[in-house]
Amino acid sequence: MTTEDSAVLQSQAAASSARIGVFICHCGGNISDVVNVAEVAKVVGTFPGVAYATTTTFLCSDPGQALIEEKVRELGLDRVVVAACSPTLHQTTFRRTVKRAGLNEYMFEHVNVREQVSWVCEDPRGATDKAIRLIRAAVGRTLHLEPLHKRRIPIHPAALVIGGGVAGLVAARDLAERGMKVVLVENRPFLGGRMAQLHTVFPTGENARELLGRVIEEVVANPLVTVLTNAQVINSEGIVGDFRTHIRIDPRGVNERLAYRENAIAACPEETINEFDFGLSRRKAIFMAYPGCWPPMPAIDWHTCTKCGKCVWAAGGKGIELDAQPREILVHSGVIVLATGYDPYEPLYGEYGYGIFPHILTLQQLVRLLDPQGPTGGQLPLPGNSHPRIAFIHCVGARQIEGVQQRQPDGKMKDYCARTCCTGALHAALAIKEQHPGAHIYDFYQDIRTYGRGHETYYERASEQGVVFIRYDPRHPPRVEKNARGDSPLLVKAADLLTSGLEVEVLADVVVLGTGVVPHDISELIGMYRCAVGSDRFLLEVHPKLRPVELAVSGVFLAGSCQGPMDITEASAAASAAASKAAALISQGQVEMDPFIARVNTELCTGCETCLTVCPYDAISRDAALKVAVISEALCTGCGTCSAACPSDAIQQDGFTDRQILSEVEMLLASVGQA
Amino acid sequence: MAQTQTVVSSHAAPGTAWEPRIVAFLCYWCSYTGADSAGTARMKYPPNVDIIRVMCSGRIDPELVTTAFARGADGVMVLGCHIGDCHYIAGNHKTMARMPLLKRMLVDLGIEPDRFVHEWVSAAEGEKFTRLVCEVTERVRALGPLELPRQMREFGFGRGLGSKAWGE
Repeated sequence: MTTEDSAVLQSQAAASSARIGVFICHCGGNISDVVNVAEVAKVVGTFPGVAYATTTTFLCSDPGQALIEEKVRELGLDRVVVAACSPTLHQTTFRRTVKRAGLNEYMFEHVNVREQVSWVCEDPRGATDKAIRLIRAAVGRTLHLEPLHKRRIPIHPAALVIGGGVAGLVAARDLAERGMKVVLVENRPFLGGRMAQLHTVFPTGENARELLGRVIEEVVANPLVTVLTNAQVINSEGIVGDFRTHIRIDPRGVNERLAYRENAIAACPEETINEFDFGLSRRKAIFMAYPGCWPPMPAIDWHTCTKCGKCVWAAGGKGIELDAQPREILVHSGVIVLATGYDPYEPLYGEYGYGIFPHILTLQQLVRLLDPQGPTGGQLPLPGNSHPRIAFIHCVGARQIEGVQQRQPDGKMKDYCARTCCTGALHAALAIKEQHPGAHIYDFYQDIRTYGRGHETYYERASEQGVVFIRYDPRHPPRVEKNARGDSPLLVKAADLLTSGLEVEVLADVVVLGTGVVPHDISELIGMYRCAVGSDRFLLEVHPKLRPVELAVSGVFLAGSCQGPMDITEASAAASAAASKAAALISQGQVEMDPFIARVNTELCTGCETCLTVCPYDAISRDAALKVAVISEALCTGCGTCSAACPSDAIQQDGFTDRQILSEVEMLLASVGQA
Repeated sequence: MAQTQTVVSSHAAPGTAWEPRIVAFLCYWCSYTGADSAGTARMKYPPNVDIIRVMCSGRIDPELVTTAFARGADGVMVLGCHIGDCHYIAGNHKTMARMPLLKRMLVDLGIEPDRFVHEWVSAAEGEKFTRLVCEVTERVRALGPLELPRQMREFGFGRGLGSKAWGE
């Protein structure tokens, strides 16, 4: 015998007492048409520790699962290996089966002989050999399995919703309707978010702030909801079921006793740019964001206020607190819903003439100007004639192409579709047509993506009403130039693909940039909750189809456009989904987590702290007295990075110990080097 | 011991042509799912690559790779999520730091660099996975058997690389 393999020897020892059952699935021919399952079962039956090996047509069916249960009981099996489809599909199914059979659910190993063998191998001999090798490796690993128990963490029955836009409001409302306690945190002084800046919404044409007002009413009227405005999340600790979030509430400067709010606002001598109108108007240091906003009282912008006291005097000395201090509170919640929203894309200086020519607006600015409660009372600043010329350019800060558009300051391209601007631009174009029926509107686009229900009608109506569509090649976007002649101030030029690339020149009094959306900057929250972020910088769900509103961090849910560009309909749907997932989790009372956490063998640990530097979750600390690493069970997510990094092999990951993986490697290669 | 004999005889029948044996360590969230998607799309690749799954490529201790070679692998693959896509935030950053160093070390150990592949494969990249498996199998086939266990026996290393560190 030439083999002196330590792990093989250990496996022999372990095998002496183990009783493994191996169940090989035909998958109705999906596996057995390529893999000779009978031969596999025969060979596998001879492996050390294997007490029983069999094949069956559909292992995941009720009779298939019953067979496992029956054999475990009848033959006193103590571990189970299943060779079937991918574990991503049925590992959970068979863990439950094994549990029902009376075994620990982690005394189970799943071998993938369908997606990774029968479906990818052309040669039945090679496939059969590969299946045998993989099962042998699994048997080797199974010999070293130890019972593990899912971690159970009780859930504090309350939710923290971060963001007071429409998504956060809908999520808070839905959670409260299910009887959950909710804390809604908004970092601005008023609720409503981006939706409040719209006039009417597509596709229903309803008033945006009226709709928003209804949701706000439902939220603030519910005694289960606590709304905090001017509130910033400054720190968060804990895990699913037990998040502790520190929130700083900046003073509003105004309280309910303020009776003469118009007087107070009028008396204020300090002005600043009004961000609500995207810089198109100015506001006072003490201000209301928009008519009918909530809370229905002004707030003081402390960056602008000089504490001159004129508002106090104008308000008759009541209701204004210029010396109020920020306070900090601790919110205890079982789940967190992120609804931090988006910001409109701000074009770079010179992008389509932005910042150079005064006659260029972003789509968001145009929407403000069309709003009867906007800075101009709904009137567009157009020349006096009845035939103003307006050019729209789509995909500004969206669907960018490397080498065509300039990189963003962060080095990225905005290469994704912003999804809302096509319908948004057409919606605005129709509103202009209503106001100025004689207006000439030119629409420079790559593709019109009016994808939502009812959105296409905006495209149809715009065509009917004479909007001229000019399709440009994304690699050759339109150029905006100063018009040297006297008529309109700007010229927009592009090659029109609809007329075989004919060069088109359009005079424009106003150029509207169909600006896209970018995620609101929440880098601090991303760091705090360790959110996964996509290459587009939006938050990344666990799986776009199967778990679309969950972050990989358990207990944290995604609502709305923090996850990607969405219109209001989609953001509300996502928020309701997030709320129901969050409520379902809270209702369980406790949460179960995989037990694959890392453990420190304090006798081997030298206290070198290498593991502290590699842990992505800061789950490891150093015990000052014992001078060893300590892993927080609650924070560990089971990636195993520390186990690989430990120079003393003092850290072992449950379910993926060195010995388990090593014996898998050795059994995989057992026939090599011995022949 | 007799049982081990059975294992051996059942599989590596003497006289059969040499086939490369390649061990692949894959992270569960991206690369393993990527390998699954190759299967779901019925892409075809040679049966020489055997997959071992770990939760994160950050779990792949370089010693696992050297041990695979020491136990008779002709090639080893390490596949993880693309940078930025790690399910555990940044486990793959550690893989990114470790594997190029390991590759240099393997050269010093007399293992041709083409026998070791470290790549990123996302859950959607079944095609890339298939291409990698085909390329690596062909490259290793061209290099021929590594036969590290035999070489080590001849040099008097009865137990081979890496066995001590995995102690009791």
